[in-house]
Amino acid sequence: MDVLQAGVGEFTVEDPDDLRAFMRTEKRREMVDKVMPEAEAVRRYVKDGDYISFDFSSFTRGPASLIREIIRQRRQNLWFAAKFTLMESTLLVAAGCLRGIDVGFLGLGNLIGKAVEEGRIKVTEWTNGTLTLRHLAGAMGVPFLPSRNLLATDTLTYSGAKVVQDPFTGRPIALVPAVNPDVGLVHVHQCDIYGNARCFGPGVSPLETAMASKRTIISTEEIITTDDIRKEPSKTTIPYYLVDAVVYAPFGCLPGGAQGVYEMDTEHFLEYMAASGDEPKMAAYLEKYIYSVASHEEFLEKRVGVAKLLDLKRQATIKEGYH
Amino acid sequence: MGLDFTESEFMICQCARLMEDGKIVFIGYGMPQVAAILAQRLHAPRMVQVYEFGAVGSLPETPFVRFTMGGPRNCYRSLAWTNMNTIFAQAQLGMVDLGVLGATQIDRFGNVNSTMLGADYKHPEKRFPGSGGANEVLTQCWRTVIVIRHERRRFVKKVDFVTSPGYLDGSREARERAGIPRGTGPWRVVTSKALYGFDDHSRQMTLLGVLRGLTIDDVLKGMEFTPLVGEKVEQLEPPTQEELRILREEIDPARAIIGETARD
Repeated sequence: MDVLQAGVGEFTVEDPDDLRAFMRTEKRREMVDKVMPEAEAVRRYVKDGDYISFDFSSFTRGPASLIREIIRQRRQNLWFAAKFTLMESTLLVAAGCLRGIDVGFLGLGNLIGKAVEEGRIKVTEWTNGTLTLRHLAGAMGVPFLPSRNLLATDTLTYSGAKVVQDPFTGRPIALVPAVNPDVGLVHVHQCDIYGNARCFGPGVSPLETAMASKRTIISTEEIITTDDIRKEPSKTTIPYYLVDAVVYAPFGCLPGGAQGVYEMDTEHFLEYMAASGDEPKMAAYLEKYIYSVASHEEFLEKRVGVAKLLDLKRQATIKEGYH
Repeated sequence: MGLDFTESEFMICQCARLMEDGKIVFIGYGMPQVAAILAQRLHAPRMVQVYEFGAVGSLPETPFVRFTMGGPRNCYRSLAWTNMNTIFAQAQLGMVDLGVLGATQIDRFGNVNSTMLGADYKHPEKRFPGSGGANEVLTQCWRTVIVIRHERRRFVKKVDFVTSPGYLDGSREARERAGIPRGTGPWRVVTSKALYGFDDHSRQMTLLGVLRGLTIDDVLKGMEFTPLVGEKVEQLEPPTQEELRILREEIDPARAIIGETARD
């Protein structure tokens, strides 16, 4: 296959056999209780320099409390897959945690744009679809997947994709390299203590993210029994052996919502938007919501409050389909 | 622009008028969402909205809430909830008739920039969010509508960065030669003043209509390049009372997307 064009963006590839060896030795087959405090999960599995992936959106079912804990523990030189992380990518940049970003959608607010303009953060261009396809390739254990997207654009030029002549049809086609994140972060509606997990509603790629990632941390609204899981196995999104840590984090998506459980906190998003273009305001935001509280529980207690929590629960009037 | 409606309202109404009943339509964030709800309430009740996170055929609850897209209100009463790889695969398969997108910059061949401004990618003057799902939509949907404000800095001779492909250099079958699906491409450009299509042969942007009360010159002044002018340039009707009532009373009473009129 002749390479017709190669993108110049920075990315890393995993040897599929090294990945298999990792999966063989490092992913536990036995059902063990993986419930642990959020701080411990992040301390154990998120290292400086890691590649981090997040599912699915800042507004809906995103593992926001895990991101806050990563910032609180001041991880550095991370590379981040940004798709629907409209808010989290900016928070991680503002907190000095990131070295680079794979861009599907960079993030909202001028601060993150400024970091790119000033060269303080590296970016590799992709698209929401091709970045998610890279996770599917990673999940399948193949080194790349073909796509008819990206072609003939500057997005491709500054991506890590290659254009080749398809050996079957003779036409140009883009190949996107697999991504195997060091850590995948997924927030779920329910799971058992071993990590058998259920996500309800539409989403980006919870299963692909858990399969592709070497370590997967899930945060959950609710812990249920394995017996419950076995009664309705078609509801299981992620089987336990893909999961390394289970964090019990009710309201863990805030300020986003968890479908059918609580609505997103629009006021908080407006506060974030006001801070996202201004360094002193963003520093104050990080201090208020992350550094000045020790944990997700303290965030809920001191920064959100019972009245707001109850109101956001009350607003979640649409339940159908989310159980 | 008059006092009776906002630029956003006119763009949304134009966009809604281009959405046909019974078609499968890929909906981008913000204005296209509001346009889709409007179209469904007026002339396209059987249009199937699809979203990049996998909702298919949703009937969004109103009032529309700012920021909502993957949440329960926007995904209400869907036919299916899938995920991103599935929905983009269905677009690649040829199942999506129309896509609707916003853009930062566009050129005469419909190439779209939503990534950065400036001559040097390594040192952008201004960095924007990037493709999101725009590249997929403009590559895979049979037709794509691009919604963009009518400003000279947005209608440029050459976009600073091709985020999503239009007709590239305008040469014959340029998209097909690059491997992009045959028969796809930008179809209409909707602005706060005008409506454009693309010439079948030269692939150049072609003025099809201007907002009633404006002249062709009024419109061309707001562009860095001169588009082709269609044989018959239509007068575009401003939003009707019914369209405005649905937008202001049912869909967006908080005016998060439609904006405020000068009279308010």
